[in-house]
Amino acid sequence: MESSATTLPETQIMKREPLVTNQRSMAWITDKVSGIVEGKTPSWWWIATLITGAIAVLVPIFITYLVSTGVGVWGNNNPIMWAWDITNFVFWIGIGHAGTLISAILYLTRQKWRTSINRSAEAMTIFAVLCAALFPVFHVGRVWFAWWLFPVPNANGIWQNFKSPLLWDVFAVSTYFTVSLLFWYTGLVPDLATLRDRAKSRFKQIIYGIFALGWRGSNRQWRHYEKAYLILAGISTPLVLSVHSVVSFDFATSVIPGWHTTIFPPYFVAGAIFGGFAMVLTLLLPARAIFKLHDLITQKHIDNMCKIILLTGTIVGYAYSMEFFIAWYSGNEFEKFTFMNRALGPYWWAYWTMISCNVLSPQLFWFKFCRTNPFVIFFVINCVNAGMWFERFVIIVTSLHRDFLPSSWGYFKPTHVDILTFIGTIGLFVFLFLLFIRVLPMIAVFEVKSILPEADPHYHGEKKG
Amino acid sequence: MKRIWQHPEAEKGKTGKNYWRSLGELSNTPDFRDWLEREFPQGAAEWSTDDGLSRRNFLRLMGASMALAGLGLSACRRPEAHLVPFTKTPEWLIPGKYLHYSTAMPRRNGAMPLQVKSYNGRPIKIEGNPLHPYSMGKSDAFAQATILELYDPERSRSFLKDGKPIDRKTFDEALEQLKQSWSGGADRKLAFLVDETCCPTRERFRSELFPDSIWCVYEPLLTGNSSEAASLAFGGGVKVLPHYDKADLIFSVDCDFLECHDGNLKSIRDFMNGRRVRKPGDKMNRLYAVESHYTITGATADHRLRLPASHTGAFVLALAKELVRSGVESGLAELVSAIDNNPETVLGVDKNWIREAARDLIEHRRRCLVVIGDRQPTSVHILGLAINEALGNLDNTLSVIEKKQEPGWNITELADAIGNGSVETLVIVGGNPVYNSPVDIDWKKLLKKVPTVIRLGMHEDETSALSHWHVPQAHYLESWSDAWAEDGSYLSLQPMILPLHGGLSDLELMASLAGVSFNDSLELVQETFRGVVKKRWDAFKFEEQWNRFLHDGFLEDSAAKVKKISFDVINRCVDFLKRNPLRAEPLAEDRLELVFVADRRVDDGRFVNNAWMQEFPDPITKMTWENAALMSPTTAKKLGIVNETVKGIMMVDKVKISWAGRSIEAPVLITPGSCDFSLALPVGYGREITGKIGEGSGFNAYALRVSDAAYFAVGASIKKVDGKYDLALTQEHNVMEGRALVREAPLEYFNQDPNFTDKMGIDAHAPSGPSFYHVPPMNAPHQWGMSIDLTTCTGCNACVVACQSENNIPVVGKDQVQRGREMHWIRIDRYFSGEDEEDPQMMMQPIACMQCENAPCETVCPVNATVHNDEGLNVMAYNRCIGTRYCANNCPYKVRRFNFFDFNQRPIDELYKGPLAPKGTPELLKMSKNPNVTVRMRGVMEKCTFCVQRLEMAKIDWRAKQGASPDVTIPANSVQTACQQACPADAIVFGNLKDEDSEIAKVKTLKHDYALLEYLNIKPRVSYLGRIRNPNPKMPGADKIGMTTINEMHHHGHEENDGKEH
Repeated sequence: MESSATTLPETQIMKREPLVTNQRSMAWITDKVSGIVEGKTPSWWWIATLITGAIAVLVPIFITYLVSTGVGVWGNNNPIMWAWDITNFVFWIGIGHAGTLISAILYLTRQKWRTSINRSAEAMTIFAVLCAALFPVFHVGRVWFAWWLFPVPNANGIWQNFKSPLLWDVFAVSTYFTVSLLFWYTGLVPDLATLRDRAKSRFKQIIYGIFALGWRGSNRQWRHYEKAYLILAGISTPLVLSVHSVVSFDFATSVIPGWHTTIFPPYFVAGAIFGGFAMVLTLLLPARAIFKLHDLITQKHIDNMCKIILLTGTIVGYAYSMEFFIAWYSGNEFEKFTFMNRALGPYWWAYWTMISCNVLSPQLFWFKFCRTNPFVIFFVINCVNAGMWFERFVIIVTSLHRDFLPSSWGYFKPTHVDILTFIGTIGLFVFLFLLFIRVLPMIAVFEVKSILPEADPHYHGEKKG
Repeated sequence: MKRIWQHPEAEKGKTGKNYWRSLGELSNTPDFRDWLEREFPQGAAEWSTDDGLSRRNFLRLMGASMALAGLGLSACRRPEAHLVPFTKTPEWLIPGKYLHYSTAMPRRNGAMPLQVKSYNGRPIKIEGNPLHPYSMGKSDAFAQATILELYDPERSRSFLKDGKPIDRKTFDEALEQLKQSWSGGADRKLAFLVDETCCPTRERFRSELFPDSIWCVYEPLLTGNSSEAASLAFGGGVKVLPHYDKADLIFSVDCDFLECHDGNLKSIRDFMNGRRVRKPGDKMNRLYAVESHYTITGATADHRLRLPASHTGAFVLALAKELVRSGVESGLAELVSAIDNNPETVLGVDKNWIREAARDLIEHRRRCLVVIGDRQPTSVHILGLAINEALGNLDNTLSVIEKKQEPGWNITELADAIGNGSVETLVIVGGNPVYNSPVDIDWKKLLKKVPTVIRLGMHEDETSALSHWHVPQAHYLESWSDAWAEDGSYLSLQPMILPLHGGLSDLELMASLAGVSFNDSLELVQETFRGVVKKRWDAFKFEEQWNRFLHDGFLEDSAAKVKKISFDVINRCVDFLKRNPLRAEPLAEDRLELVFVADRRVDDGRFVNNAWMQEFPDPITKMTWENAALMSPTTAKKLGIVNETVKGIMMVDKVKISWAGRSIEAPVLITPGSCDFSLALPVGYGREITGKIGEGSGFNAYALRVSDAAYFAVGASIKKVDGKYDLALTQEHNVMEGRALVREAPLEYFNQDPNFTDKMGIDAHAPSGPSFYHVPPMNAPHQWGMSIDLTTCTGCNACVVACQSENNIPVVGKDQVQRGREMHWIRIDRYFSGEDEEDPQMMMQPIACMQCENAPCETVCPVNATVHNDEGLNVMAYNRCIGTRYCANNCPYKVRRFNFFDFNQRPIDELYKGPLAPKGTPELLKMSKNPNVTVRMRGVMEKCTFCVQRLEMAKIDWRAKQGASPDVTIPANSVQTACQQACPADAIVFGNLKDEDSEIAKVKTLKHDYALLEYLNIKPRVSYLGRIRNPNPKMPGADKIGMTTINEMHHHGHEENDGKEH
């Protein structure tokens, strides 16, 4: 290369932005990330954890009330048999998607920037799926029989109905949760070992030691680790697509106008990634600011995520308009009505909230200024968080509230139990995340180190300036 | 836990009737309570329930009534003889099998012949008496709901003196003293104020035992105007009986004859039989309805005219004139000319409407029928009779029969008599006059003037509160009695169970008052019966005849004889009509008309504590749990009154209605089809003293009602008052949005295009295709299917209550209805159609589970709790259901109902308290349940299953009968669903599709049979027969009648297939 004539002037080769800025060393990264866990517990953490913990207590309180009294304590009615319960379920399960996408798909496609965000995104996934799972379990009328959803041999000799998408959900979500947990834990092992090695107190050494599973960082262990991680990534990849596709089948396989739509699987997956990335940013932006992680979670990371949000948001917007188009093009009066009713019916406000939050607000990310200004980003991603909740609300409630026979049209309004249970899950989610950042390294230390220039001593790929 | 029962010892000396009745009291002695609480604090509540019926008492009652059921009809009601459960079971009593007994329900217009289904000694379901022409096995919502009335835990349970409970003995003694105080002539000081039960024994008492006493019959909704008119026209002691089966044209003037409580089941059936169009060319009768507010008769009508009730007389006169002008001779012409003191036109009515209607009537001479509503004054009835006579309808479509009851005093006369102190003892039997009599009678003051007021009532109510003595009344299902049907036929009433609360029947009280000694009220009825049969048969056959009478429920050929009397118009009626001129005073927003209408749910208020009736949606307004003043959209606009749906709840304005110095506050519901400046006030609500169910529901319209304007009044004004009021409607969207749901065509259109129903909506384009899902092969010998004829369905809701009773469907209360959680398995969808929002046409469509062969609910249930069986039923395994509610979401008809709370176990006003609310169904309500249907718990989905319990029973019975024979197919048409069995119009046909002889197989081949939402390829087993109307093409606006669905849905229809432009 050096001997041959240079055809392009040096200045024309665009420099790839470093993924760790300020030329931080490996030791600095270890100190920085481990320091968050090892340092003194900051007082803001106590306050935040107590507040969110208190909010999380709403969940057991209102679930107890629900189970002891009946589903009627929610606003669900006939014809809106599913409302906030399934809205919240799809909302939380959707959020989980970004985690798996970042850990699995971006891993397989060798997107190196994933390393500084994958750990917390995976943790977020697990917490979101936990919050999500609450709803389908407790929304049933007789939760004490919810185990009938699992193919457990029983005296009745009745098998499950494998035609039911709800049953597919059970398998999809439980598989997803299991694989996500394994994936997350596998990725944690080397860092747990680091924490163990750095731990000062005996207690910490034992605890981290147990969970580090005897990791010593030997070549052999690394070889096994890499293989296992790759396999898990391979298993997770289809799950990213399948879980939300299956969730969308709950609706798509039904006969209800507004649900009965073939576009749902890709639309739901895009929506889930969209919402998931927004939630990743919602958690990471404050964490980055608080823990001063600007060198690890760089502007480039944020920029990338903003671009994904812009892309998926636009896909979602396309799906929204395509639904309208198909409703019109099908000539089906019921479909047509349902979509007109979404935009102009009693729930118009929910529909237009969804459109403004999910389709319009991400368009700001076309502008670099908006992708770099943390306040604009924070505004947009919270719009997206709300918008994605409204999307599920719109799909579920507005389709159900006015279906085929106008005689049975109804209206849903949430009760305080609906609202407080949902707020409770938000509290639970943040509470779990706060616990996570306090006891586990929120950034995959060893993975970030692997993308440092030092990790690539032969300078493959790019030339160091 | 081992249960130890310490039976409290009976008090010495207590024998006979007192013995078992006192057990209830005994079990409430402090000692007994202590023992219960000490031993089983948990179980205590269960055993001595608040409803006062202890478990032991309950068991005794069961045993006793079992004995009654078993030992049969000859056994007297002598409970002391049969206190033990069977040691020897009567041979025809099979545990778990129903027994059917004939009886009749007393109604103000004539009793309704019934057959009551009894299970192990407790009546659980009311059916019509299939043997009697006035029922033919049919019944109505009120009759169905009396099961719940019988078991109402809040029925009166004890004798009261000045509001304090006393025992029976004290009352008996007091009665003795009272009787002794009467000297020979005291009878005149004794006054009876009774409700109308059309009871021959009561009539016999009246003439034999109390010939000199004051006898006043009061029913708030029974005017007697029709009888008065008949008496004037034909001489006394007669009434007219319309024959709808013989009429090809019915002209109904302010007469809701299709409503069961106003008319009777026979008129509905007769009328609908003349409307049942099966194929092109079939004859169909025509109905004109003139009414102030929508009724189900108006909804059925081919031509409907909105007209204030107060203008109706003038309208009938205008019609008479038009008839005369068009050449009708006879006395009518003379009558009209003699009383012609009215303007030519009726205010605001299209002259062409009257002219064409009159011509149509003339074309149908001798085959038409003009019926006038009871609400209208006597003069209008006379005019109606004159029109009928002039058209030759007398003795053709209308006959005069003898009336078996003597008229009594009216309530104003009684009030006057009390006022001048000539009544010393007032006996109020049934009814609730203090609440529902004209408000100008001040009972509070009047009753103070009567030294002794004895009141027999089923509930402790407003009248009981003002009486000295309150005596609990036995329900008609607990008493021996007899009754006349509307046609005068003689019916038997027999008890199905002993009086649950030790009540007395009206006959028992009256006989005791007269000092007649009897062992059982059965004897009193037998005495009457003997008198009736003596005329026909030899006395020695008495037992046989009596048993037959009880078995059949009526005496054969006992209907009143038709009298051939000529109608002497001029001599008899002109004077009356001149004295009572027919005027139509103009109405305006400050001069409103008030129409007091019977409520379709609580009648005159008697069903106000009946949860089934409270929750059943009014057929027209779909309102539950209360009433509202009804007015037309124009009137509302002029008065600035709005109704709006706020977050799914109908919020309406409240108004103050003032008339003649009195005023009430009421919410206003705007109802299309009401005439302008007329306010309908449904009576029966706003009770002051009633049970928990009726408490605080609605407003009291009686408070505006005075004796000389008891049915309608002109000159009221209203003022909006502050605040909004929330109503609980079960249906808030009233139009079909251009969807081909109810499919309708005029008769002419149908004759040319009999399968018009297949050319409407999206279903016309989307032929059913294959399916990936395969349900079990439907190859059983029985394949159940149903067809509902939209032409003959009136929307009366009898099916709804019948289903509720048959299938143990819980009630949920107003709050839950507002949240859309009512539980009815069958509902009647009501739609308005037509361009005129003020005066639309109305359509009814009963919707229950369609038992789709390719059911969308089944595929989505994750636990296989709803599955298909090989007979084509979409069955529910309640025990398997975990309540994901996915099935209900995926049901396109929204017929699945979810138990959001423990509606059966918790009081409906404490649902949100969860485990903190008292748990358990009162023992009495448990008795009302059908043991063959699971009572569903909270968290479980439920829905119509075509009364699968009845199907199974029919199949088992047939197999048992067939023995080893391989023929297991039950005979055609031998099983009925509850809704079908109740339907007075026979609009529901059900049966085995595979059986070619069955009615359903035939009906399903009719050209205008169609399935709802067929394009979904779900293959529903329930289909509909398109609605056909029969407009007179010459009438103004006739081109629009019955055409709205065709016009609205035609662009989705067949034209496209024909390649035509549209």
